[in-house]
Amino acid sequence: MLAMPGPYSANAFTLAPASPQAAAISRLFVGTLIFLGLILVLVTFLVIYAIIRYRDRPGVPEARQNFGSRKLETIWTVLPILSLIVLTALTASTMRTGDPATAVDDPDLRIVAHQWWWEIHYPKSGVIASNEIHIPVGRSLSVELRSADVIHDFWAPQLARKIDIVPGHPNYLRLEADHPGTYLGVCSEFCGTEHAWMRFQVIAQPPDRFAEWLRAQEAAPPAPTSPEAIQGAQIFADRTCANCHAVASTVATGTIGPDLTHIASRRMLAAGALENTPANLVMWLHNPEEFKPGSHMPNLHLSKSDLNALVAYLETLK
Amino acid sequence: MKQAAVPEALEGESFALEAREGWLSWVASVDHKQLGILYLLGAFFFFIVGGVLALLMRVQLAVPDNRFVTPEIYNQLFTMHGTTMVFLVLVPLLVGFATYMVPLMIGARDMAFPRLNALSFWVQIMGGVMLYFSFATGAINGGAPDMGWFSYAPLSEKAFSFTPGVDYWVVSLLAIGVGTLGAAINIIATVICLRAPGMSIRRLPLFVWMTFITAWMMVLVMPILNAALLMLLIDRQLNAHFFRPDTGGSALLWQHVFWAFGHPEVYIMILPAFGIISEVVPVFSGKPIYGYDFVAASTLAIAFLSLAVWAHHMFAVGLGHTFDMFFAICSMAIAVPTGVKIFNWTATMYQGRLRLTTSMLFALGFLVMFTIGGLSGVAFAVVPIDWQVTDSYFVVAHIHFVLFGGTVFALFSGVYYWFPKISGRMLSERWGKWHFWLTLVGFNLTFMIQHVLGMLGMPRRVFTYPALPGWEAMNMLSTIGAFLLAFSVLIFIINLAISLHAGETAGDNPWDAWTLEWATTSPPPMENFAHGVPPVQGRRPLWDLAHPNRTDAILMKLAR
Amino acid sequence: MPDKTKLGVGLFILSEANFFLVLLIAYVYFHLQPDQGPSAASSLNPVRTLAFSICLFLSSATIYLAGRSFKRGRLGGVRLWLALTVILGAIFLFGQAREYMGLFAHEVTVSTNLFGTTFFTLTGFHGLHVVVGLCALATLLGVALSGRLNYIKPAGFEAVSMYWHFVDAVWVVIFVAVYLWPLVARKIA
Repeated sequence: MLAMPGPYSANAFTLAPASPQAAAISRLFVGTLIFLGLILVLVTFLVIYAIIRYRDRPGVPEARQNFGSRKLETIWTVLPILSLIVLTALTASTMRTGDPATAVDDPDLRIVAHQWWWEIHYPKSGVIASNEIHIPVGRSLSVELRSADVIHDFWAPQLARKIDIVPGHPNYLRLEADHPGTYLGVCSEFCGTEHAWMRFQVIAQPPDRFAEWLRAQEAAPPAPTSPEAIQGAQIFADRTCANCHAVASTVATGTIGPDLTHIASRRMLAAGALENTPANLVMWLHNPEEFKPGSHMPNLHLSKSDLNALVAYLETLK
Repeated sequence: MKQAAVPEALEGESFALEAREGWLSWVASVDHKQLGILYLLGAFFFFIVGGVLALLMRVQLAVPDNRFVTPEIYNQLFTMHGTTMVFLVLVPLLVGFATYMVPLMIGARDMAFPRLNALSFWVQIMGGVMLYFSFATGAINGGAPDMGWFSYAPLSEKAFSFTPGVDYWVVSLLAIGVGTLGAAINIIATVICLRAPGMSIRRLPLFVWMTFITAWMMVLVMPILNAALLMLLIDRQLNAHFFRPDTGGSALLWQHVFWAFGHPEVYIMILPAFGIISEVVPVFSGKPIYGYDFVAASTLAIAFLSLAVWAHHMFAVGLGHTFDMFFAICSMAIAVPTGVKIFNWTATMYQGRLRLTTSMLFALGFLVMFTIGGLSGVAFAVVPIDWQVTDSYFVVAHIHFVLFGGTVFALFSGVYYWFPKISGRMLSERWGKWHFWLTLVGFNLTFMIQHVLGMLGMPRRVFTYPALPGWEAMNMLSTIGAFLLAFSVLIFIINLAISLHAGETAGDNPWDAWTLEWATTSPPPMENFAHGVPPVQGRRPLWDLAHPNRTDAILMKLAR
Repeated sequence: MPDKTKLGVGLFILSEANFFLVLLIAYVYFHLQPDQGPSAASSLNPVRTLAFSICLFLSSATIYLAGRSFKRGRLGGVRLWLALTVILGAIFLFGQAREYMGLFAHEVTVSTNLFGTTFFTLTGFHGLHVVVGLCALATLLGVALSGRLNYIKPAGFEAVSMYWHFVDAVWVVIFVAVYLWPLVARKIA
């Protein structure tokens, strides 16, 4: 078994919201659980009391042959109906506050879900990222969600409702965080072999830090200078990497796999399967099947020195 | 004073009493009692198989990033587990009890169509065999279906599922569906046409009534599944476009059609279980069911509403708040008749004299476990809650509380109740109590914690997970619970074996119950009632017979 | 108490009706979407289809008459009307087959586009139901031709008859939804 990545040190608890939408949902969730819990206690009590009181033992009178009571039936029909009406009203209002999204023509984020990774576009600046979504704190962003293949689902429990990503049916979400932090997310609709490792992170930063990040992402990475990295860049170009992956300002413009322009700046690899360290990157490239069996990343059977060179190059793509 | 009405041989049937002997007689039998037993045995076999699949899944999930099975295999495990439990276990178990008990409970000699009865059973078994054969068809990893038991498109299309697993799933379900439809038609015709004189619809035992309503639901919704399956098959094999968004088809059409079947299907899996509880609780409380009319009417309400709630499985799809609201309201509404039942069963116990037999213990366990499952269902009707925890382990917990805590508990209750009638022997109460408590503890250990896992963000259908805080401990707990549950099934099997061999003789009516099945020997003779059916003048014919001065009719009049 | 055989067949028909309803909904749903390639308007010939549809509708009348003869024990009548029913049903199937061949020749198949997919599925399953019905009718006819009317249970005859009327009724709906609808739509547009 592998040593597990560090970023999984805190849970994305649905009842620890970090956005106004998630907070609205969380409040309703807690209230509902309490209400339902009370009903459960009531029913359990009634059953246990009956068992204790009417258990057959010497001295207990014969069973009373009764058939029902219109009054009781009315009570336990009307009371639940009234409570459910209240619950329905709360549901309706929380749906509004919990999901304020509408379809937009010019979203702030366009997320394209693939088997088994996340493609993140920032249309207004042209930045393309993978699996890691940076957002500025305190702003409500419009997100468009599309699928490149099968149905996926975008679920960041602390930030928003989950929403399916359906091919042929674009969906919209509003994404917002009210304080900085890293918020875990998962694909939440079974989408094939590696559904379990289709994770993402939403990294909410103070607006100035976010702007810094965005600028860095917009910039093309500098050309490699060290001999090993230059050799790595050559391997990247020669060994079909460019067929699937893109690196800005190079000949690599493939869109089948994640954009690698700034791969070295990301925290995770393979949509959450590995922490992004040079050692892990070597291991990943050496044998993707080991860490994410079934993923579409082929094993290129690179030699050790080729691997090191390639990783040296990739590490320059900050 | 029994009427000596010896039933005539059914039209076209010969009165071959020797058909009871030998193995071959079971294969050739058209007798509802033998077929009922075959249904129960076949389904129990698949229950073990489906349970083993679940154990394998739980071993894989016991620790993070486990390599016990590959994701390809895991995905087959959970798909086959769900498909097996729904189509090859729960429905056939309920159909099996109905097949055995309904004719007896209405004073009939057999079902309306004995040969259709046999065909239904064997076709269902063949479907099951075909489904499992798929494991042998894949290259390295096995070729069983691996796209989840509700097989969403376009994942289930050829482009994304290239093994023949989906095709096996489709064809097997078509075959199994033929069996279910045949059984449903048989049950309806039996209840409408073959009731003993005096048994009006309003005097039907509630197990019969609920099974009857369920059969109507089967008639209405099995064809919906068939249409969906055939459209998928045509897409895959003939390159059509129903569910392929890339060529103009609709992935959502599959969901709508599937759930239009799928949701009523889950009510199909619970209503007959409600029927079992409605028989067991009164008998072991020593008094009639409280609110018979309301329990019966609420069944109808549930049946109707169940046809109008399907899109609550699609709240996360993004179909618009208005659309979601309609289905939310209907889903909340369906909680009301369900609650009415729970309250009536509970009220039945009050002022009764409770005999805490194993059958009754399972029924009481059902009351609490199903309430938990039902309440978490109400939580899902609250759309924003669904938006958080659908497709997570919270919903896995919900489905198991209603289907295991609900249906399986009710089935065990029914087994302990009716085993004496079927076999002529009593199941051991000592082993039974162990069985019950181990089941209750094992079940809760396995599934209660999954509510928390769901709320912590664990999605369903994942073959592994990262070492997030608490996830390993919770998953390990769940795995231990699963093995305890498996052990409890072993205890049950031991009880069955011991009791069949050396259990106490049951006699006609060991529980002092009141419905017609207890008015004949245990087991019943071939023609069911060798000395005719007792007169039926109320809902509890044997009570009326034993208390001629305090029949239900007299008591009900006094109560007004 | 209703007759159990008629009840059984009635229930089966109810379930088949739901089956066709779903296929019909799929057809209508996709018909309402924009689609490329051949369509109902461009590929179908409602007039020619009406001709062999009339044969199917007439066969409902003939089987009704066969039923009347059967109730009266008139062997000759049973043979005549059953034979006509089979022939009319066969003509319908033949017409349908001709239509299919014509569509294939114009490269309209189940995989061409959504029209092809939904059209062939809906009419194809109807055709299969006609085939099954014809087999049942042919069986009855065979027994009638052999002279042994008493081998046929009244409920059995009634059951086949109900099924045949159902198959007919489904075609009425399909004909309207698939063949007539484009004509009406064209008139409105």
